[in-house]
Amino acid sequence: MSAILTADGLVGGYGDADVLNGVSLAVESTDIAVIVGPNGAGKSTALKALFGLVKLREGRVTLLGEDITGAAPDAIVPRGMGYVPQERNIFPNLTVHENLEMGAYIRRGDISTAYDRVYSLFPPLAERRRSPAGTLSGGQRQMVAIGRALMLEPRILLLDEPTVGLSPLFIEQIFDRIVEINRAGIAVLMVEQNARYALRLASRGYVLAGGRNRFSGTGPTLLADPEVARSFLGGQA
Amino acid sequence: MIELINFYLIPGIVLGCIYALGAIGLSLVFGILRFAHFAHGDLLTLGAYFALAVATTLAVPALWALPFAIAATAAAALLLDRLFYQPLRARHSVATVIASFGVALMIRSVVQLIWGPQDRVFESGIRPPLIIGDFRFAERHIYIVAAAAAIITLLHVFLTRTRAGKAMRAMSDEPSLARVSGINTERVVAWTWILAAALLAAGGLFLGIDTQVKPQMGFNLILPMFAAAILGGIGKPYGAIAGGLVVGLAEELATVPIGGTALVPPSYKSAVAFVILVAMLLWRPTGLFRGRVF
Repeated sequence: MSAILTADGLVGGYGDADVLNGVSLAVESTDIAVIVGPNGAGKSTALKALFGLVKLREGRVTLLGEDITGAAPDAIVPRGMGYVPQERNIFPNLTVHENLEMGAYIRRGDISTAYDRVYSLFPPLAERRRSPAGTLSGGQRQMVAIGRALMLEPRILLLDEPTVGLSPLFIEQIFDRIVEINRAGIAVLMVEQNARYALRLASRGYVLAGGRNRFSGTGPTLLADPEVARSFLGGQA
Repeated sequence: MIELINFYLIPGIVLGCIYALGAIGLSLVFGILRFAHFAHGDLLTLGAYFALAVATTLAVPALWALPFAIAATAAAALLLDRLFYQPLRARHSVATVIASFGVALMIRSVVQLIWGPQDRVFESGIRPPLIIGDFRFAERHIYIVAAAAAIITLLHVFLTRTRAGKAMRAMSDEPSLARVSGINTERVVAWTWILAAALLAAGGLFLGIDTQVKPQMGFNLILPMFAAAILGGIGKPYGAIAGGLVVGLAEELATVPIGGTALVPPSYKSAVAFVILVAMLLWRPTGLFRGRVF
């Protein structure tokens, strides 16, 4: 099977300083791929680079076999890649429904099935569809954020720390939903602080440090690797 | 009491509507383009002169000139954005603010160059006021308020019902997320200028009908328009409507003579807007409706 998203030797960052010093990865259409690593490893930056939000000095990004290196988000989104930022990922003054509508902004034609899918995936949103998204709880906001990106019916979804700041109950709910999204045929690539939890779900895992690939393999393989556990997961395997 | 309504309250509402039309655009521009647009008043002047030019050349009633004035003002705003603001978009907003000062001076000079420095008026003849009981309504006041209300209703429909309007609100909320959603931000910017210019053309026409058309008319409005926008909460177009009415009414009502002397002499009434502006910035910078900090 060929990868739907690949990154090859990404080097770049903000301004003059490089944050990424050579990141490569490949995500297949059935994958839940997870990027873990210490703070400052360049995890979020790598995700942004894939989505055209970071200036790359070197390297190549392909989506569905096409080169998208250096393309802007509004050129990438129509090709089937959605991105959920870690922060500021909802429109607080727009209603829940309008947030979803903005997710489908570039789509023409009937989007009612996309609404139905998001509302059945996240039932609490259906009840609050007329409320401004800013009035929702943290977990529900995260649902809005993911729902917005799903409205595009993307082939692959990039999630930047989807469970950050959530209570354990919501963390589990969000991970459950991510698995469900993946089963529906959408590839997932996420950066996660809850590394152990996320790697358990991962069909593919990448450990980044210092802006470089350090380890990669399936989630369970990485979890079982004593060196990964000692250096990056804080303790024994 | 009747005198208070006829000579202060009604003019205050009319003035408030004109301020609101300007302040809404100021608030929209600030929310979406993230800079304080100091040429806003002079763009209103330009709108008034466009309306005057159409009304006098075609010899039509002033209100008929509005669609032409809107189109011409919108075209001017888009051109100014393309020439002076868009090249500075990636820079710190201070650069754009300073550029807008320059644009303000340019517009005022061009207006004087083309139409001359003298005051002009919309020819409407003397119309008797509408008298209901003891209340006297000037015909122009009735249709200024009615037209302003209609325009604001249309704006509301645009912002809440249309795809472009919702994208404008989204971009005002979270510009980076709007980009990530694939929203074409330059197109949203264009819509913002078109709306702001339409509101300004209407404001300029109404002010011209109510008083005179002169090169300084819009510049003199910058202070109350900013006061109204800040009062309403920057980036909150509905707040700006309330802000405009409050500032307009406050200016007129402050000149009501109580026991022979007015709180504020009529020639100093623009100081009222200044006091409101300073007070809001000091004590409640997010405005009455919790907008962004200016």
